Amino acid sequence: MAPILKVVNVTKYFGGVRALEDVSLDVEKRAMVGLIGPNGSGKTTLFNVITGFYPPDRGEVYFKGRRIDGLNPNEIFKLGLVRTFQNPRLFFNMSVWENMLVIPQDQKGESLLKAPFTRLWLNEEMEIAKKASSLLKDFGLKDFVINKVSDLSGAHIKLLESARGLMGKGEMFLLDEPAAGVAHTDAHKIFSFIRRLRDEYGLTFFIIEHRIEVLMDYVEYVYVLHNGRLLSQGTPEEVMRDPKVIHAYIGE
Amino acid sequence: MITFDVIGFLLSWFTFFSIYAILSMSLNLEVGYAGMANFGKVAFYGIGAYVSAYVSMSIFLSLAGLNYPLYSLEATMAMVKLASQNPMLNVSVFILTLILAFLIAGAIGYVIMYPTLRVGPAFFGITVLSFGELLRIFLRHYEPTGATYGLTGIPHPFAWIEDVFVKNLLFTSVTLIILILLFLYAQRLVNSPLGRTMLAIREDEIAALCMGKDVPKVKGKVLFIGSGMAGIAGCILAYYIGSINPNIFVPTVTFDVWAMMILGGIGNNKGAIVGAGIITLVDRATAAINFVFPGLIIDPNFIRWMIIGLIIILVLLFKPAGLIPQTYTWTPAWKIVKPLEEKAKRRREKLLSPFKKISKWFLMGG
Ligand SMILES: Nc1ncnc2c1ncn2[C@@H]1O[C@H](COP(=O)(O)OP(=O)(O)O)[C@@H](O)[C@H]1O
Ligand SMILES: [Mg+2]
Repeated sequence: MAPILKVVNVTKYFGGVRALEDVSLDVEKRAMVGLIGPNGSGKTTLFNVITGFYPPDRGEVYFKGRRIDGLNPNEIFKLGLVRTFQNPRLFFNMSVWENMLVIPQDQKGESLLKAPFTRLWLNEEMEIAKKASSLLKDFGLKDFVINKVSDLSGAHIKLLESARGLMGKGEMFLLDEPAAGVAHTDAHKIFSFIRRLRDEYGLTFFIIEHRIEVLMDYVEYVYVLHNGRLLSQGTPEEVMRDPKVIHAYIGE
Repeated sequence: MITFDVIGFLLSWFTFFSIYAILSMSLNLEVGYAGMANFGKVAFYGIGAYVSAYVSMSIFLSLAGLNYPLYSLEATMAMVKLASQNPMLNVSVFILTLILAFLIAGAIGYVIMYPTLRVGPAFFGITVLSFGELLRIFLRHYEPTGATYGLTGIPHPFAWIEDVFVKNLLFTSVTLIILILLFLYAQRLVNSPLGRTMLAIREDEIAALCMGKDVPKVKGKVLFIGSGMAGIAGCILAYYIGSINPNIFVPTVTFDVWAMMILGGIGNNKGAIVGAGIITLVDRATAAINFVFPGLIIDPNFIRWMIIGLIIILVLLFKPAGLIPQTYTWTPAWKIVKPLEEKAKRRREKLLSPFKKISKWFLMGG
């Protein structure tokens, strides 16, 4: 089976800083794959290139067989590739409810002419609302619908970010440190929840985490970045035993 | 003894209130909802005024077969006579220019969006500010619209009514009706999926882009509506004062409107209107005091902005989000989640509580 995401020889420089050098990797559909590496190794930059924030200097990115480097972030989102941010970027002064409802693409009520006439978009709106309400229930967020996002706890914010991703036609998620700043036990909760989502919704996850240990029980395959280059790859056990990886982490 | 014309004062206040409420509501759509710091509001106000003056005078003069330049004294003199002859013509030209002012100002607002995309959102405000100033300087030198003298003799839609009071009452009522219609429209707009998307863009443009929103397109729509509404305000102004010139449309007008919006509450249409009401009242009141008591030691015109500044500081001290703060976008989707019912219940109780207290007071005999 062809991989859902394919990165081919991607290179990205910021001025003289080498952020990524000749990175190639594949992610299979319905897989849970890790991306690890010390701070500053280029993990976030790789996500930024994949999701259209920066064009790569060289190289290509394919999603579902379609070339996506050069597309805008909103176009890539529409294809079903959703990302979350290291520092969650929700709409903090809006309610949890609105954060969910706002996501679906090309809503009828977003047209300038139709917006003032509720009749013209009521059905679609109620369908979106139903989907949002069942997702919030699944994510254990249904008691917070009317709360402002800024009133939620860190863990709830992380959950909402993923729930929101599912409001679109998200098939693959790039999660940038979904358990950042979260204690080990809570990190395990988050990762097992992600695994449940993968199983229930048939999604694909590509996850950044800079602590190797916490991710290892959950992913099938790991890529290791170091100074912008792919240092190692393999199953979690293989990578953990790789002397290059041990050296990079101890050398940090 | 100078008698003070209370009704005249109210009519003039209501008219300026309507004009500025439309402006601050339009600014609020751009700033409060879509997060575009528009420092060039006055440009679209001016465009609306000039389009209305130019088109209305041209129609009247050409129908009368006169081909004086619009800015000439002859044209102004002729307009005085022409404006009181045909009620149908006056009213239909008014409606026509109202629509034209909306469309032309709106279209220019939409087009302005694109060059500002290149300079990035942070520079949007400065770019439109300079656009407004360039436009004003251009008009100061553009002869067909009278350069620095501007255009005089704009045909009042009710010029054919002899009783000045009735004429003004009618005009003020029309402006209030326009304000109410635009308010209802703006309320529907913000409480819709479009309003929700606008808020999301204000909150975090990058995240909105990542969540698949076509940010430039939405901004273009908002600027079209916001600028079009400012154009309508300009049209009303032109007919109200009958004569316009480039010096009316200075950048301070934009900042007055910003003050109204901040005072009333950013991100709330009602707030924008309340803010406009308060500041135009202070403005008209200080002007009236000056007129009733000429020769005061301190000219009230000079303390006007001190009063307004003081009000703004006091309000923001106690209510940092303005008098009527931002709220959520209330689309029908809220119906299917419970908290809304609870909220409505709470609101109902709050509304009823004074009555309950009063009835208790009566029952208990004080
Ligand atoms: N927008 C940018 N401009 C300049 N340098 C950047 C930018 N983004 C990232 N970098 C640099 O690229 C390198 C990789 O950063 P990043 O991808 O954020 O690492 P990680 O997410 O693995 O911690 C760092 O040296 C960082 O300073
Ligand atoms: Mg990072």
